[in-house]
Amino acid sequence: MRISTNTIFDGNVNLLNQQQMRLFQTQQQIATGRRVVTPADDPVAAARAIEVGQSDAMNTQFQSNQTSVTSSLEVVDGTLSNVTNLLTSIRTLATTAGNMVLSNAERQAIASDLRGQLQELIGQANSTDGAGTYLFSGFQGTTKPFVETATGVQYMGDDGQRMAQVSPSRQLATTDPGSDIFMRVKNGNGTFVVSPAVANTGSGVSGTGQVLNPALLTGAAYQVNFSVVAGVTTYTVMNNTAVPPVQVLPTPPATGAPYVSGQAITFDGLQFDIRGTPANGDTFTVAPSTNQSVFQTVSNLINALSAPVTPGIPSTSANISQNVSNAIAGLDGALNNVLTIRASVGARMNEVDALKSMSDSLSTQYKQHLSQLQDLDYNKALSDLAQQQLSLQAAQKSFVQVNNLSLFNYM
Amino acid sequence: MGTSIFGIGVSALNAAQFGISTTEHNIANANTPGFSRQRIIQSSNIPQFTGAGYVGQGVNVTSIRRMYSEFLGTQLLQEQAQLNHLDTYYNEIQPINNLLADVNAGLAPAVQGFFSGVNTVATTPQSQAARQSMLSTAQTLTARFQSLGQRVAEMQSGINSQVVTSVGTINAYATQIAAINDNIVIAEASGNGMAANDLLDQRDQLVTQLNQEIRTTVVKQQDGSYNVFIGNGQSLVVGGRAYALQATPSQLDPSRIEVSYNSNGQTVRFPQNALQGGKLGGLMTFRSQTLDVTQNSLGRIAIGMASSFNAQHQLGLDANGNLGGNFFNVPGPAVIAATTNTGTGNVAASISSVSGLTTSDYQLIANGGASYTLVRLSDNAVTNFPAGLPQTVDGVTFSLSGGVPNAGDIFTIRPTASAATNISVAISDPNQIAAASPVRAAAALANTGSGAIGSATVNPTPVTPNPAHPATDLNLQQPVTITFNNPPTTFNVTGVGVPAPGTNIPFTAGAPISYNGWTVKITGSPAAGDVFSVGPNTNSSADGTNGLALANLQTMRLLANGTASYEGAYAQLVGDIGNKTRELRVTSQAQTALVNTTTQQQQAVSGVNLDEEAANLMRYQRAYQAAGQAIKVANSMFDTLLSLR
Repeated sequence: MRISTNTIFDGNVNLLNQQQMRLFQTQQQIATGRRVVTPADDPVAAARAIEVGQSDAMNTQFQSNQTSVTSSLEVVDGTLSNVTNLLTSIRTLATTAGNMVLSNAERQAIASDLRGQLQELIGQANSTDGAGTYLFSGFQGTTKPFVETATGVQYMGDDGQRMAQVSPSRQLATTDPGSDIFMRVKNGNGTFVVSPAVANTGSGVSGTGQVLNPALLTGAAYQVNFSVVAGVTTYTVMNNTAVPPVQVLPTPPATGAPYVSGQAITFDGLQFDIRGTPANGDTFTVAPSTNQSVFQTVSNLINALSAPVTPGIPSTSANISQNVSNAIAGLDGALNNVLTIRASVGARMNEVDALKSMSDSLSTQYKQHLSQLQDLDYNKALSDLAQQQLSLQAAQKSFVQVNNLSLFNYM
Repeated sequence: MGTSIFGIGVSALNAAQFGISTTEHNIANANTPGFSRQRIIQSSNIPQFTGAGYVGQGVNVTSIRRMYSEFLGTQLLQEQAQLNHLDTYYNEIQPINNLLADVNAGLAPAVQGFFSGVNTVATTPQSQAARQSMLSTAQTLTARFQSLGQRVAEMQSGINSQVVTSVGTINAYATQIAAINDNIVIAEASGNGMAANDLLDQRDQLVTQLNQEIRTTVVKQQDGSYNVFIGNGQSLVVGGRAYALQATPSQLDPSRIEVSYNSNGQTVRFPQNALQGGKLGGLMTFRSQTLDVTQNSLGRIAIGMASSFNAQHQLGLDANGNLGGNFFNVPGPAVIAATTNTGTGNVAASISSVSGLTTSDYQLIANGGASYTLVRLSDNAVTNFPAGLPQTVDGVTFSLSGGVPNAGDIFTIRPTASAATNISVAISDPNQIAAASPVRAAAALANTGSGAIGSATVNPTPVTPNPAHPATDLNLQQPVTITFNNPPTTFNVTGVGVPAPGTNIPFTAGAPISYNGWTVKITGSPAAGDVFSVGPNTNSSADGTNGLALANLQTMRLLANGTASYEGAYAQLVGDIGNKTRELRVTSQAQTALVNTTTQQQQAVSGVNLDEEAANLMRYQRAYQAAGQAIKVANSMFDTLLSLR
């Protein structure tokens, strides 16, 4: 068995190279802090790290979306809180205005107070988010949603709901359209509304009424007709939607039910009362509720309070009572509407909070996972480094020593 | 008899001199690459018959033998060729490996950043800052694609020039081997069959160096010359004649350099996998198995992202009130006609489905008439089209764009190769980002029922494509009214583009209602006479509906037949390259160990050991001294004889 001199040198040089290579790799790992310096070091971990990195980045994006949604919802909630306070104060004024002892001048004063509050309400409805985008205009962020026209406050926005993605599977609305908040308020008691005819001369005032039995509702329009004959006031209730109109109360063949002020009138699942003294030929209509904007409700009240009460004409004071009663019903409806929406906003804020804490814990998990995949175990690396240094030193020393051995030294 | 005393002494001196000079030669050439140590072969001279028996006549050196094992030499050549192949492949793949996975320069962070921008616009579409920022991240993304694509393209031209250099080197070695063949034949013929040791060493060294460039097979001829073969048996050197290889632009795709040889005046291209082993083999394998695939993969991600993003973008409305256009510009497939084509036909290719795209290139061969054959180059799968074009395979539609091809005309189609280098952002005005939906739905304020209409979504395929904007319906933004009848179990629809009659359509709460390329759902209980409308989404700066759909594309699996998202496809590419690099690292280390072992064995036979030579020096010196003493003794005997009177 022979060995050539070249083999000795080359072999040792190769081994030194290998040791230096290993040492270099360990140095790189320590310098970058990563166990996986290039994908070839651990291809499976490298590919997995890209995927986890993507999930982590998306999670961060969702966290940022969540923050944005939270701040938007907080602004909306603040505005709606102001609106609630305004509506409550308007309702208080309305209740005060219903007191029949007030003089015309006092009612005028209340009316002008109400005018100011109406403007403030419109101002709240036209709130922006601080960057110039209107909150309640649907998709049309640069369009002022509520504009006063000759026919009242009109809604210039649309029904669009602005959405944001707060988690991979969940989109939340960041605001609500003004039409839902301010315009779609059902008048009357929410199901039906009783209104006196404009031509009434008596002092009959209708109450808001209530639904006794929803199963019996027909959704038809009715008319209550009063007749005063020889000092006896009777009334009939006709179903005007049926063709031909059908008398509902009193049950035929009776021709007129006796009228008692304040007594409940009940039919087809509805119940309401009429107080005061209706004149002959006065009529009241009972119709299914329609949408009436809260601005319209307040405007109606302002108009009514501005009209003077003539002591000799009972219909003028009846007008005031009726409008105050209608206004209070309308304001109650509006308040309910706003509160419902505030509840929905609150629910959304809760949901975002829950999602936020989930995102936070996900973020920690992802970062941990990434670290496991990629990061270096410093203890192991440093001890490897020390060991490899030692091996290299030993190899180098032994190389130099063996190198000195040659027969030529002794010749 | 007396002269024989001197004669024997002189023969001994000669033998010792030969020994010393050979040993000196060994020592001098200890570090010469390819040198095989030499030893003298001595044998005793023919004895002379005398009355007392056969008397030896001394020694003569019959030959100087070169210690060389042909078996080990051949084995080492094979292993060395494989090692060079793996080493070259490993060295070439490493830059790609590092490039793709770089945390800052890789593709993944750019894609994250872009979709982060999209998300911000989706959440606050009215913000100019958010829109501008999305455009910036889009620019960053396309720039990243371009830089990766550029880098790969540079590697392609680097491979081209390395191939040219390698072929030049091979030709140079071949010429030198041929020259030495001649020298050896002459030397051995005139030397009575004595081996021309040093010339043989030089030739073997040349063969070793040639073998490092490309695996060679050597067949030794009767007259002592080597015939050298490469590839699948292509002869490179025959006797004293060397055949040159050529590195020329491929006839199928002039941007690639291929290796070919000259046979009877015809240029014959080496088939795809014929060149194996050695540096050239490593380069060719790297190019076809890794570099082309990487280029096509990156391109596929670019086209995939651009096409699907554009498709969704066109379903939206921008801040100027216009329907969305293309967000990205991305080139279509490249078609290259072979330079040997004789017909006038031109083939065109377009992408029909991003999900079906592969990372392979294709060849379309005209068979004459309307018959064509399509070959997918990654696995040589063949599809025949006897009935002519256009045809769609793997998401690409191939068609004839003009002229008539002749039988045998070949067209190379590279669907995704240039996409990464040429992707760009098509819009520069932030207001052209189509974040809003083109249509919005509304319920009339006078409605008394509890019906609610959700938002209107745009269908991916229109009923009647708008010629000016084919992605959406012609009547998409025409106002349409839905009115409920009494009883509200049916509704009527009126509006431009609504097919007649639009009356008494049965209503189911929550069921989709679709006209003019949009869909809405009405839930709850509408009352008789309730009216719902769908119309153009004018002035909709705060609507981010399409933006949300665009942001959603990040997680949808749109590539590779619905199995991979954009980043998933990229992670796959990184994983594949990482795996291959690791495999090469391990196998080349193993091969290096193998080569080292065989080299050791070969050196054990042919290598010079200086200690051994030192001992030989002393041996022959002793022999010389002894022979000199013998002559001195013979001389003094002669003196004795001469001094007799």
